[in-house]
Amino acid sequence: MHTKTLKAIVISIVIMLTIQGTAAASGPFGPPQPVSRPAGGLHTGFGYWLQEDKLKNNEEYISRQQQIYSELGYGFQKNWDLYARIGLSGLKLFDAFSPTTTATTTSKNDFSENWKFFSTLGVKGFYPVRPAFGIGAFIQGTYYFSDFTDNVTGIQSGAPFMAELGLKNLWDVNVGIGFQATIPWGINLYIGPYLYYAEAKVSPSANITGLALTSGETILRNNTVFGGFAGIDAPLSRGFRLQIEGKYADRLSGGAAVTYAY
Amino acid sequence: MKSYLFAVTLFCVVLAAGCAHKPSVVSDPTPSAAAPPAQQVMVAPKTEQSPALSPEVSAKTVSGNLDDYQDIEDPDKGREVEKATIADPLEPFNRAMYHFNDKLYFWVLKPVAQGYSKAVPEKARVGVSNFYTNLSFPIRFVNSLLQANFAGAASELGRFVINTVWGIGGLLDPASSKEINLSKQTVDFGQTLGVYGVGQGFYIHWPILGPSSPRDTLGTVGDVFLYPSIYFGPWYVWAGSRVYERVNDTSLQIGDYESMKEAAIDPYVAVRDAYVQYRLKMIKHKGGPPPAGVSGLLEKD
Repeated sequence: MHTKTLKAIVISIVIMLTIQGTAAASGPFGPPQPVSRPAGGLHTGFGYWLQEDKLKNNEEYISRQQQIYSELGYGFQKNWDLYARIGLSGLKLFDAFSPTTTATTTSKNDFSENWKFFSTLGVKGFYPVRPAFGIGAFIQGTYYFSDFTDNVTGIQSGAPFMAELGLKNLWDVNVGIGFQATIPWGINLYIGPYLYYAEAKVSPSANITGLALTSGETILRNNTVFGGFAGIDAPLSRGFRLQIEGKYADRLSGGAAVTYAY
Repeated sequence: MKSYLFAVTLFCVVLAAGCAHKPSVVSDPTPSAAAPPAQQVMVAPKTEQSPALSPEVSAKTVSGNLDDYQDIEDPDKGREVEKATIADPLEPFNRAMYHFNDKLYFWVLKPVAQGYSKAVPEKARVGVSNFYTNLSFPIRFVNSLLQANFAGAASELGRFVINTVWGIGGLLDPASSKEINLSKQTVDFGQTLGVYGVGQGFYIHWPILGPSSPRDTLGTVGDVFLYPSIYFGPWYVWAGSRVYERVNDTSLQIGDYESMKEAAIDPYVAVRDAYVQYRLKMIKHKGGPPPAGVSGLLEKD
C-alpha cells in the first residue's frame, strides 16, 4: 500500500517537473518539517533550482532563472526552522528586445545575463498532527544584490541604435502552508499552496520606439499570485538527505538539493 | 622609519611563511611563536639524556621517592621504543632562536591571542580554524598522491568537497562526523621527502618558524606553493591572513606550551626530541590519522 502511494507521488512529481511550463518565485520551500536532527541544530544544503515565471507591465514576458545556492539553517527541535541561502543566478527574459513595429529590427530578442548574487531568508513552523502527518507554514523572501543588464543593437527607421536595459532590485516574497506525510524508509512527501509577489525595476538607457521595455522606467510584476508546490525529501546515507521539489504558478519550476543535518 | 616598516614586514612574512607549513606546524612540537600542545613532550623518546619527561617521570625526579609512584604504569612498557636522534651542530644558534621564539610567544603572540579569544567566541574560532584547514587541502591532497596514498587522497578530496559545499565553505567540518568519518591526512612535503628516503639532516630551530631540519625546511617551501591563498591578491593580504590564522590557532591552544615547559627540565631538548620523534612517526605512518600515542596530542582539533 505504501509502495503504491510512493510510486504514485513520485510519478506525479516527475511529470510536474518534466512537462513544459513553469512556476514562480525563487527557490524551493522544502519540507514543512525542518530537516535538522530531532534535538535541533544546524543544517546545510546545496541545490539547483530552475525557475520560470511570467512577469508583466503592459506586456507579458516569460522569465527563466537558473540558480545554484548554498543553504544554512537552524532547526529548533524539528518544529521551527530559520534558514538562509546565498547563490548565483542567471536570468533570461524572453522577447524583452522583440520589436513591436516593423520599422524596428534588433540584434536579438531575449534579455540575458548570468552569475548574479542573490540571497534568500525564510522561516517555517511545523505542527505534527499525527506521528506520520503534520502541517506547516512558511514565509520566504529572495533579494538579488546585483542588477541584471544586457545590451541590444538594431535599426530604427533606418538609424542604428544601441541600448542597455537594466533589471534592478529583483525580489520576491512567498507565504504558504504545507502538508507533510512520512512514509516508510523515512521519506517525507509534502504538498501545499502558496501566495507570492515578485517585482523588478526596468531601467533602459534610451527610449527606442518599437521596443516596449525601453519606453522609460517601469516595474515588472508577477502575473499570478497563487501557486502550488510538492516535493519529496528522502534520506541518503551518512546523514545526507535529497530534496526534489516542483512548483507551479503561471509556469512550472523545479529543482533538487542535498542537505546535511549536524 | 623605513627600517621599522621593513622589520614589521619581514616579521609578518616570516610568520606567515611559517604558517604555510600548517600540516606540521599545527602538529609540530614547536616552541616557536606557535606554542605546541604541552602533551607533545610525552611523545618524545625516553632517552637517558632527554629531559623531555612526562609529568609522571618529572614528579618522580622531584620527589626522589620512587616507591611512591610504583603504581604508575610505564606507557612504553612491553613494547620496543625506537630512539630518534638528530644531529645538532648548531645548538648555540638553535638555543638562541628557541629563546627568541619563547619570548615572542609570551610577549607578543600569547597576549594578542588572549585578547582575541576574549573577543571572539570559541565556536567562531574553531570555525576559522576549520576554514584554514580546508583551504590547505591541496597540500594534503598532492602529498597523499606523491606518497601513493590514493585512499588518503580520495579521503582528502571527499573532505574538501563535503566541507566546502555542506560545511559553508569549510567553516564547519561535517566530514569528520561519526557518520561520514573521513579523517584528515596529516601529510606535508617534508614528510613526502622523508618517505622517499631523504634524510632529515641536522636540527635547526628557525626564528618564528620553530623546529625544523633542512629537509623539512625545503618541504615548507614546497607547501607554500600549494597553499591557494598565495595566488590571490597581493603578498601582504596573504601574509596578513597567515598571521591571523596563527593568532587564531594559538588562541585555541593557550596553556599547552606553558604546561610543556613546566613538565620539561630543558624545554629546548624536549621540543627538539619531540619534534624528531614526531616527524619520524609521521614518515613511517604516511599520513592518515596520527598514529597511536600521537592522536590527541598533536592534533589541535
